[in-house]
Amino acid sequence: MNTYDLTIMNICDFGLCFRMDGFRILYVCIATFMWLMSMSFSREYMAHYSNKLRYYIFSILTYVATVGVFVSADLITTFLFFEIMSFTSYVWVVQDERKESLKAGETYLAIAVMGGLVMLMGLMMLYNLTGTLRIDALNSAIQPYLGTKELYVTGCLILFGFGAKAGAFPLHIWLPKAHPVAPAPASALLSGVLTKAGIFGVLVISCEIFAKDVKWGTLILGIGVITMFLGAVLALFSVDLKRTLACSSVSQIGFILVGIGMQDLLANENMLAVRGTLLHMVNHSMIKLCLFMAAGVVYMNLHALDLNEIRGFGRKKPLFKGIFLMGALGIGGIPLFNGYISKTLLHEAIVEYTHAMSEGHVSAYMINVAGMKTIEWIFIISGGLTVCYMTKLFVAVFIEKNASDKKQKEFDDKKDYMNPLSAVALTLSAVYMPVSGMLPTIVSDGIADLGEGFMHAAEAGARVHYFSGTNLIGAMYSIVIGALLYLTVVRKLLMKDGEYVDRWPKFLDLENSFYRPLLLIVLPNISVFVCRFLDRIMDYTILLLRKTIYKDAKLPIEPTEGDELTHYFGGIADDIIRGLNENVLSYHPMEPEVEHKLAIFRKYYKENTSIIGRSMSFGLFLACTGLLLVLAYMLLF
Amino acid sequence: MDNSTYVLFNLTDRLPIIFKCDEISVIFGITTLIIWTLCAYYSMRYFKKEKKTIRYAFFYLMTLIVLLCLDLAGNLVTFYMFYELMTLMSVPLVFHDGTKEAITSALKYLFYSLCGAYMVLFGFYFVYSNAKTIEFSPGGVLEGNITPDNRGIMMLAVFLMILGFSVKGGMLPMHSWLTSAHPVAPAPASAFLSGIIVKSGILGIIRTVYYIAGPNVIRGTYVQNTVLIMSMITVFAGSMLAYRDRLLKRRLAYSTVSQASYIIFGLMVMHPIAFVGAICHVVFHAIIKTGLFLYSGIVIHETGRKYTDELTGMGKRMPVVWWCFTFLSLSLIGIPPAAGFISKWNLCIGALKGNIGISSYIGPAILLISALLTAGYLLPITIKGFLPGKDFKGETDKIKISPFMSIPLVILAILSVLPGLWPKPLTDMLRQLAGMLM
Repeated sequence: MNTYDLTIMNICDFGLCFRMDGFRILYVCIATFMWLMSMSFSREYMAHYSNKLRYYIFSILTYVATVGVFVSADLITTFLFFEIMSFTSYVWVVQDERKESLKAGETYLAIAVMGGLVMLMGLMMLYNLTGTLRIDALNSAIQPYLGTKELYVTGCLILFGFGAKAGAFPLHIWLPKAHPVAPAPASALLSGVLTKAGIFGVLVISCEIFAKDVKWGTLILGIGVITMFLGAVLALFSVDLKRTLACSSVSQIGFILVGIGMQDLLANENMLAVRGTLLHMVNHSMIKLCLFMAAGVVYMNLHALDLNEIRGFGRKKPLFKGIFLMGALGIGGIPLFNGYISKTLLHEAIVEYTHAMSEGHVSAYMINVAGMKTIEWIFIISGGLTVCYMTKLFVAVFIEKNASDKKQKEFDDKKDYMNPLSAVALTLSAVYMPVSGMLPTIVSDGIADLGEGFMHAAEAGARVHYFSGTNLIGAMYSIVIGALLYLTVVRKLLMKDGEYVDRWPKFLDLENSFYRPLLLIVLPNISVFVCRFLDRIMDYTILLLRKTIYKDAKLPIEPTEGDELTHYFGGIADDIIRGLNENVLSYHPMEPEVEHKLAIFRKYYKENTSIIGRSMSFGLFLACTGLLLVLAYMLLF
Repeated sequence: MDNSTYVLFNLTDRLPIIFKCDEISVIFGITTLIIWTLCAYYSMRYFKKEKKTIRYAFFYLMTLIVLLCLDLAGNLVTFYMFYELMTLMSVPLVFHDGTKEAITSALKYLFYSLCGAYMVLFGFYFVYSNAKTIEFSPGGVLEGNITPDNRGIMMLAVFLMILGFSVKGGMLPMHSWLTSAHPVAPAPASAFLSGIIVKSGILGIIRTVYYIAGPNVIRGTYVQNTVLIMSMITVFAGSMLAYRDRLLKRRLAYSTVSQASYIIFGLMVMHPIAFVGAICHVVFHAIIKTGLFLYSGIVIHETGRKYTDELTGMGKRMPVVWWCFTFLSLSLIGIPPAAGFISKWNLCIGALKGNIGISSYIGPAILLISALLTAGYLLPITIKGFLPGKDFKGETDKIKISPFMSIPLVILAILSVLPGLWPKPLTDMLRQLAGMLM
C-alpha cells in the first residue's frame, strides 16, 4: 500500500509530521463516518440542550485533533494532537453542567492531564535515547538499547499516557464515570474513537519500539486480561444502561490489548493477532457507535438510564429493537456477526501461542502452558460475560414489561421516538455488524489487510476458516457460559422482587476509595506539611534574630486620639460643617467628623513611620547609607 | 552582534561603569519593554480610582530606566549598582496602597533584597581581587585565575553570588518576600514584579554563571549540585504551596516562585539545550505571569473578589478575560502547542542529556509533577468560572471591561501561545549563544 508523507517544518520548533498509510486511512475514515453519524443524531438529541454552539464547536475541534492523532507520523506530533484532543473532549463530558457531570469531568481531566504528563516524560526519555521520535525511524534507532531497563521504564511511561486514554486497568476509572453523563452521541465518539487514539499509541510502542519483545508482550497481555475480565464483571453488575456500555468498552479494550500482547509474543507468526486486533478495534468502534446512539434514543425520550425505569421501552418498536440487537449480537461474538470474526482471530492467536509454547517454538516470560490455558479460559469467560450483560440489557429494555402498567402504556404509544435523520444514522451504523460478519472474507479480510503494514505483520500464514467447527465451538462455549451466568447470576443474584439492584460494593470503587484519597488528601497533606516548613523557616529565623540580636525601638504610647494640630484644624472644620448644615446643607446634612478623620489619619501616619523606623530593613538601609557616605568620603578626600 | 562597549565614567582606575549590548541584554531588554508598556497601558485605567498616581508613575518609570541599565550593564560593578537601585526604585511600587500590610511587605522585600545584594557584594570583592577583569565575557573570566590555593574561597564567592541573586529569583527558603509583596502591591506592579524584577535575579545568575565564573569552573562542584537541589525543591514546594493557597494573588506569587526555579534549574544544568529552555522560559514566563497578574487585577478591580473560591461563575460574566486566563494557564502548564511547552521540553531534554547524575531524571520528573500541580491550581479557576453548575445562584449579568485593561491581557494571551507555534527565531538565536557560552 502506498504511503503519503507530509512534513510541516518548524512548527513548534520540531515540525509536524503526518503520514497516510492503510491503517491511518482506515481510522480516519472510521472517525469521519462516526462523527458524521453522531453529529446527525446530535441534531435531535441536543435539541433541548443549552450551549449547543459550544458542543458543536468543540466536537469539530476534537474531530480535527483526533484525526491529527491518527495521521501523525511522529510521536511529538501525536502528543500535540493528543493533548488538544483531551482538553477539547472535556467539554463533552461537562456539557449539561450537572453536579455529576462536573465531577466526572474532573476525573476525566485529571486522568488526561496526568496521563499526558507521564507520557511526556516517557517521550523525553525516548528522545534522549534515540534522538528521534519519528515512528518509522524508532525501530532502528532503539536497537542498541533493546532489553535495557531504561527502555522499559520509558515504554511504561508512554504506555501510562496512552493506556489512560484507552481505558486500560487501573486507569479505566474515567470511562464508567464520564460516559453516562456525556451526551450519548459524544459518548459514542469517546468510546468508539477516542479510546482508539489511546490504542493507536499503544500499538506504536508495541509494534515499533518493543516489536517481538516477550517481556513487553507479557506485560500488555497481563494488563489486557485484567482489563478484559474486570470490565466485563463491572458491566454485569451495573444497572445503568450507559454505564454498562461504558464498562463493556473497558472490557473490549482489554480484548484489544490481549491482541496487542499476542502480537509481541507470537513474534514472527503474529498474523492472526494483528488481524484480530485491528478487526476488534474496528468492530468495537462501530458497535459502540450503534449501541451508544441507541442508549441515546432511550435517554432522549425518557431522561433516564436506570434499567428499572427504562424497562420495556423498546417493546413494539421493531426498527429500534433491530438496531440494538445488531449491536448486541455483534459485541457478544455471535456467529454471523462481526464480533465473532475478531474474537475468533484473537482466540486462535492465543491457541496458536499455547501450542507453539508447548512445542518450544517460541520464547516465553513468566507464563507457562498452564498459564496460557488459564488466559484462554478467562478470554472465553469474558466472552460469556459479554453475552450475559448484553442479554441483560436486551431483556430489560425490549422484552420485559415495565413495573408500572401506566408507564408501559406510555412507552408502547410512543411512535415518534426518533426522527428520520436519527433513524438513518442509527440504521447505517447498525448495518455494518451483520454485513461484515456474514461476508468475512470480503469485508473483514479487506479491512484487516489495510492494517498489516502499520503493525508489521509477519508474512501471510494460513487463512482462518471462520465458520469451521472448532471456531464455532469456541463461540458456543461463550454463549453457553453467558446463558448460564444470565440464568443464575443475573436472574437470581442481581435481581430482587423483579427489580435490578446494584450489588457492586461501594468500597470497591477504585476512584473514591483509592485515587481520590491518595491524590487529594494523603499526598498533598504530607508534602504541604514539609513545604510549609520550608516556606516559613527563613521568616522565623529572621524573627528570632530580631528578638535576640536586634533591639527594637519601643512602641510609642498613644493614649488619646489625635494631638493639638488635628484637634485645632479638625475642630474648625467641624464647626464650619455644623454651620453649613444649618443653612446651606439643611436637606443633605454632613457628619461633622473631620476632627476624628484627621486624628485617624495621623494615627496611621505615625504607625507607618514607626513600622518603618523600627524595622530591621530600615536599620540595614541606614547602615548601607552610612557605608556609602564613608566610601564617598574616602573616594573624594 | 556588535559588542562595543560604552564607558560612562570610571569609579576608580579598575572600576569603570560600562554598558554593553549582547544577546542576553537584547532578550531581557525587549521583554522588559514589552511588559512595561503593556502594564503601563493597563495602569492608566487601573489607577483611575487610586490616589498618588504621580508617585507611582514616577517610580514606575524610574524602575524601567534602572532595569534597562541593568540589562545593558557590561561589568559586575555596573550590574551591582543598578541591581541595588532597582530594589530601591521598586519598593514604592509595593507599598503604594499605604496600608500597614503593604508597608510591612515592602520592608520585607527591601530587607530580603538587601541581604541578597550583600551576599553578592561579598562574592564580588573576591572576584574583583582575584580576576584580571570583571567585565562580562562569554565563558567567564575566572577560568585560569583559580589556583589550588584560592579555589575554596572562590567557589564560596561564586556560590554566595548565585545565592544572593536567587533571593530576587525567589528560591526557597529566601522566597518569602515574593509571596508577601505580590498580594499587597497593585496588580500592574505585581505583574511587573513577577514578570521582570524576579527575572533580574535570574539575569544576575546568568551573568555570574556564564559570564563571570564560567560553566567549566562550576560544573561538577558543590555549587552546581546544591543550587540544583535547592531549585528542584523550590519547583516542587512552590507549586505545592500554590495549589493549597486560596488567595488568588498569593497563589500566583507561589507559582512564580516555582516557575522562576525552573529557570534556575535550567541554568545550573549547564547544558546548551537546557540553557535554551531556561532563557525561553524567562521570556515566556514573563509574558504568562504578567498576563495572569493583570487578570487578577481585572477581577479584583471589577468585582473586589480576592479568593479563588469566590470566582465561581465569573467566566460567564467576563468571557474574554476568562478565555485569556485559560490560554495563559494552558501555556503555563506547558500544553503543546502553547509557548510554555517549548521551554519545558528544552529544559527537560537538556536535563536528561546533561551530566548531572541522578538529577537528570529527578529534575524532569519534578518539573512534570509541578506541571501537574500547575494544572491543579489554575484549571479549577477556569472550570469553575465557565461551569458553575446547573444550580448556581449567583449573579449572571455581563461585566463590561474597559479596553485599557482587556487589550493588554488579550495581547499577552496571544503572545503566550503564538511563540510556541513559531519559536524558531528565538531558539535559533539561543542555540547559537549557548554554543558560544559552553
